Amino acid sequence: MKHTRKSAFAVVAAVLALAQLTACGTAESSSTPTSSSADTGSSAASSASSEEIIKEAAAAGKIGNWGLGNEYEIQALLTKYGLPTDYITQDFTMDQFDTDAVTLASAMTYNELGLVVNSYDGGYSYGDSVATIDMNDEGVAMLEDNLFCSKAFAQSNPNTVKAFVSASMKGWYYACEHPDEAAQIVFEAGSSVSADHQAYMAKEVAKLVTTDMNGNSVSADKVGEMQDDAMQQTLDLAKKYILLEDASAKDKLQAMTLDDIRSKDYLTYDKEKDGAVEKSAVSVPLKWLPQAQFMGYYVAKAKGYYDEVGLDVTIVSGGGDISETTAVYNGTVDFGVTWVSNLINANAGGMDLLEVAQVYQRSGLVLVYKKK
Amino acid sequence: MKQVKRLMRTAPNVLLPLGAAVLLFVLWQTQVLHKLLGTDTITLPLPTRIGEIISQNTSAISQHIEITLTVALGGLLLGSLLGYGIAVIATVFPKWGAGGLTIVSAFNAIPIVALAPVINNWTRDFSSEVSARSTLAKILVVTIFCTASMSVNAFRGLTELKPFSEDLMKTYAARRTTVFAKLRLPNSVPYIFTALKVSVPASVIGALVSEYFAEDTVGVGRQIRENIVKGQYPTAWAYIAVACLIGIAMYAILMIAEHFLLKRRKG
Amino acid sequence: MKKLKQFIHSGTMVTLVWVLGIAAVWEGFAFYVAQTKRTPLNVLPHLWQIIGSFFSDKMITGQMTMMQLIGTSCGETLSRAAVGFLIGTVLGFLLALLMHLSGIVEKIAFPYLMIIQMIPILGMAPIILAITGDINTSRIVIAAILTFYPVSTNTLAGFKAVEKEKHELMYSYAASKFQHYIKTIIPSSIPYFFTGLKISAPMAITASILVDTLQGGNGLGCMLSQSLKGGMSRLVFWDIVLISAVIGILSFYLMGLLEKLVCPYKRKS
Repeated sequence: MKHTRKSAFAVVAAVLALAQLTACGTAESSSTPTSSSADTGSSAASSASSEEIIKEAAAAGKIGNWGLGNEYEIQALLTKYGLPTDYITQDFTMDQFDTDAVTLASAMTYNELGLVVNSYDGGYSYGDSVATIDMNDEGVAMLEDNLFCSKAFAQSNPNTVKAFVSASMKGWYYACEHPDEAAQIVFEAGSSVSADHQAYMAKEVAKLVTTDMNGNSVSADKVGEMQDDAMQQTLDLAKKYILLEDASAKDKLQAMTLDDIRSKDYLTYDKEKDGAVEKSAVSVPLKWLPQAQFMGYYVAKAKGYYDEVGLDVTIVSGGGDISETTAVYNGTVDFGVTWVSNLINANAGGMDLLEVAQVYQRSGLVLVYKKK
Repeated sequence: MKQVKRLMRTAPNVLLPLGAAVLLFVLWQTQVLHKLLGTDTITLPLPTRIGEIISQNTSAISQHIEITLTVALGGLLLGSLLGYGIAVIATVFPKWGAGGLTIVSAFNAIPIVALAPVINNWTRDFSSEVSARSTLAKILVVTIFCTASMSVNAFRGLTELKPFSEDLMKTYAARRTTVFAKLRLPNSVPYIFTALKVSVPASVIGALVSEYFAEDTVGVGRQIRENIVKGQYPTAWAYIAVACLIGIAMYAILMIAEHFLLKRRKG
Repeated sequence: MKKLKQFIHSGTMVTLVWVLGIAAVWEGFAFYVAQTKRTPLNVLPHLWQIIGSFFSDKMITGQMTMMQLIGTSCGETLSRAAVGFLIGTVLGFLLALLMHLSGIVEKIAFPYLMIIQMIPILGMAPIILAITGDINTSRIVIAAILTFYPVSTNTLAGFKAVEKEKHELMYSYAASKFQHYIKTIIPSSIPYFFTGLKISAPMAITASILVDTLQGGNGLGCMLSQSLKGGMSRLVFWDIVLISAVIGILSFYLMGLLEKLVCPYKRKS
């Protein structure tokens, strides 16, 4: 009995969604997804129709995400619309989206979305036949790429941390002002991501660094600063959607406050006042492959900003299963770039990590779908 | 009296590894092991903590075990049958078969695991149900994992006969099928077990690793990966322990089967 | 004419036919995929596309063409695989010897040998990384761990398979334990040892590619996963799959060649 009611609901939802889609498809066809993806307010789907799109995809069981700590925003979104939080695992290609195995696929504005839309090497050439649902608009955004180290390292090397953060943010500021040059710098540093995709990525990343979750622009001197309301929203969602089987980690997560995960004491460095760095050779593993997602560090290195503060920085490629949190925790590297939710998760598991700068001020995660 | 004697003989087989296990457990629990390895209790949690997590999540864990076992056993069965079949063909047509055998062994050299995302693309048309096509893709990976060792070993077993035995059969004017059934087949049995000793652990590892890349977020292997990437080492270790237990159980069953089958042969 | 006949009946010919057969099947599917799929490159490309991309002089990364990229990655991964394989082989052989010499060692070690294989690499990797402090050393260690099991079990099986008559003969010569091992047990276990090697040589390569993906850097596995993660031609992935298969086959043949060199008497009949 219960079953029939459920499927009847699914049919109704699907019909409604279809009606909505045909209506919105004609209205939206003029906007290009490349530009609409990160501009707040003008996201391809208005709030009412995105609900139907999500419900339709959920009913078909075709919402995708990578999992492995990238799924919390999607789960929050599903919960917002009263849906179960199940999803299909996306591999790191967009093949499933391409073949309709996943109809509402997770994508980062600066990476996967670019591949879906564009037709350069590795791209899927969908152009403006796809549209997106933005996590920032939906109010379920969580902060992503930050800069962190272990608490112990920050305590014993405060000047190194300050110097690294301030030089890196200088690099980020320059990169956001000159995304094309930044993309070229990353490409020349040996990135295997194609030059075209790199240039696309640099522009999209710059938007995430200089716009906050509400769509307000972030001024240059505030690059890297932590906004408490955005951090708190991230922590609150993390507490709700990070599911742990380890009872003691669970308790630790629920008791966590912002002061357990971040410190604002390391944003500025004054060589005269603070003194020289304690450790000059430091390494930073990236959260992913070497690409414009991390252009600030490459720019800081190429422009000599690290040399200015007396640091010799090695940038280590990431993207494997030994996560950056683990690598920083066990001391094989000094700094790391990760998502705030991953850092919260690691700290719940007992690693004492500390965020020292927040590079991205809004979520870069969107759900992409093909317009009907 | 005879039973006591037999017990005396088999006791060390059990007691010695057990003793080593107890020693390891003590070193681990008292953190001497951590000092030796230069690690800490988060990367390598204490056994009691691992046990605690397992006991708190038995129902979730047993569901994951069921899924992993299906994949491992399914792949093991298919892979072994396929491998043995190839060995038989290679025996019947030695000239063409040997080349095929080499090719099969070469399959071992392809990083099958890397192929997993592509195998996902291949099986996509199989079913719109994620769990069905995902299970098929995983079983395919394990099958390829298990084929080579069986085909190489079984071929040895089918062809490396005692010199006089084949001649004897010839003097009996035995048909090829008779030679096969009475001589080659029994001769290959110990070799089958040699192959299984490699492919049983391989099937478990293959199942775990294939889950890392599967579309469906289930299975022991998937849980290990999720928790390691998320930095939840104690939970990851709980699943690692479970994975080891699956492997040990399957291996134990294999040993018992070998014991009975080969004993009967001797008798 | 006679030479041609000889060639047709040779082993090379057999292998060639097999390879061509597989290529034909591949192409058959590739044509089907090209007709039915929107992005055939992601499902099954044509072989000529893969091979063509390898020799293309188009820049894949900032500095390298496909051939350069794969060449350098190959070098990195293969050197790690070779070191890991060597360590794994030596350890595997020694352990087999030790287990054969002492029943106690066998009884203790054998179950654990198996259990180590059961621990998924991912579980071991962070610990090994913490111990070695260097990702590349960890990669070698993991490759060694993954390879020594087949060598060990096969060699042990070889030790045990020595015929009773040979033991009795040595006993009648009043041979010492050392002589016994050098003259009968080890030589007669060599075919088994090589069976182990033939399984574990390709495995060392596979394992190396696999552990490459644990963290970034250079190596076939790193490039392979980068290609899948986008922003790079998917042909890099296919090139690496094909290349690793070729290397694997070569490693298998190399072991066969070594076997012929070490015990030429073995396969005369």
